[in-house]
Amino acid sequence: MEKQFEEFKLQLEESGGVREKIRSVVTEIEASNRMLSSCLLSVHQSLPLSGVLEKANGHIETVKGLYVQLAEILKDCPGEFYRYHGDWRSETQTVVSLIAFLHWLETGALLMHAEAEKKLGLGSSDFGLDIEDYLTGLCFMSNEFPRYVVNRVTAGDYDCPRKVLTFLTDLHTAFRMLNLRNDFLRKKFDGMKYDLRRVEEVYYDVKIRGLASDGSAQGQANATGDQLTLP
Amino acid sequence: MTTNSTMRDEFAKHADYLNSLNEKREKVVKASRDVTMNSKKVIFQVHRISKYNKDEVLLKAENDLVAVTNQFMSKLVKELQGTDFWKLRRAYTPGVQEYIEAATFCRFCKTGTLLNLSEINSSLLALSDKSIEPLQINVLDYLLGVADVTGELMRLAIGRISDGEIEYAQKICQFVRDLYRELIVIVPLMDDNAEMKKKMEVMLQSAIKIENACFSVHVRGSEYTPLLGTDNPDFSFFGVSDFE
Repeated sequence: MEKQFEEFKLQLEESGGVREKIRSVVTEIEASNRMLSSCLLSVHQSLPLSGVLEKANGHIETVKGLYVQLAEILKDCPGEFYRYHGDWRSETQTVVSLIAFLHWLETGALLMHAEAEKKLGLGSSDFGLDIEDYLTGLCFMSNEFPRYVVNRVTAGDYDCPRKVLTFLTDLHTAFRMLNLRNDFLRKKFDGMKYDLRRVEEVYYDVKIRGLASDGSAQGQANATGDQLTLP
Repeated sequence: MTTNSTMRDEFAKHADYLNSLNEKREKVVKASRDVTMNSKKVIFQVHRISKYNKDEVLLKAENDLVAVTNQFMSKLVKELQGTDFWKLRRAYTPGVQEYIEAATFCRFCKTGTLLNLSEINSSLLALSDKSIEPLQINVLDYLLGVADVTGELMRLAIGRISDGEIEYAQKICQFVRDLYRELIVIVPLMDDNAEMKKKMEVMLQSAIKIENACFSVHVRGSEYTPLLGTDNPDFSFFGVSDFE
């Protein structure tokens, strides 16, 4: 009996050590996320977008470096990705929401799973971006839009609500293709419809006052790139 | 709309992924439930032990356990083959814990020793396809199962005392104390130890119940002897009315 428990003790101490290493990196990821988040928040204040994006991309590089470190730690415990996954799960969901929002600002399109992995330097080894984390991150991103459209309209960008509405509607439709379980992701997805409704309201307000440019066809055509040329 | 259709393609992939993951999880949960149910039956069989039928009862329990292994654990092992054991751990941990409990319980009654994890794992190797990485029970599930066995040992000890097998009860008592002493060192090191901490409290309670029962017999030994062998032993007599 004693011998076996002695072995367990060693094994568990080892995995505890791994966990400690992971946690210290995750703390840094959290800090970088906060920097990135704070940087992205300035889009609500209509600062020049190109400057914001440049700074934000710098922070993403930092986060990427940290994820590479995590992947390096996990290399020593093959097949145990999901043993430790909970330790960086919520940070990963946050970072996905931030880089997906940033990606939309840059391109007007959705950040795909493979693109997200690439941005975070993941996917080459066993260490990947969990699909559910990615999807949860997208739900978090959606929460950012109501505030964004309100502030854009206040700043005089009357075309923004329509673009956001198209994007969020598409995203919501896409999410409805998923058979979700009764879990966290499901709850977050259920919240997305409130974002959608809020954006619809803003769009409606702008539209009935004749402020929105009447160009749904033109709007789709320049879905990419026009974010950068905003006043 | 191009954005829409690329999004749709992307989400179609994720939908497939989630569907197959959920299906797998569902199957594993089912297999795990079968293991739980049948392991419980083994435990009940062991409890049918009495002073005179020990070998017979244990033989049947052991055979039942082998059947659980071959029929139900093998199914769980097959369902889990080729998937991430840690990802689905929550789906199968109840079954595995119950199985550990049944197996260690049988082994203790047979030999008075603790069944090792490595022994269980090597028996699982035989169940699986050699080409794919086989299911190996992890330390955490093993310890959680072992912690549970002490509750059964407590019941067994009380039963043995009422049957007059005081020495057997004392042996159980010693075993449970040893286990508790070993585990108390390890628990803080375990991954997610909230569940285990609760089990440790229960374990201590079990150990105390056995000790109290042994104490009662020791102190009042001469008084209770005539009661032995009656069909309805009065457990409250031993200070263990709380029997769960």
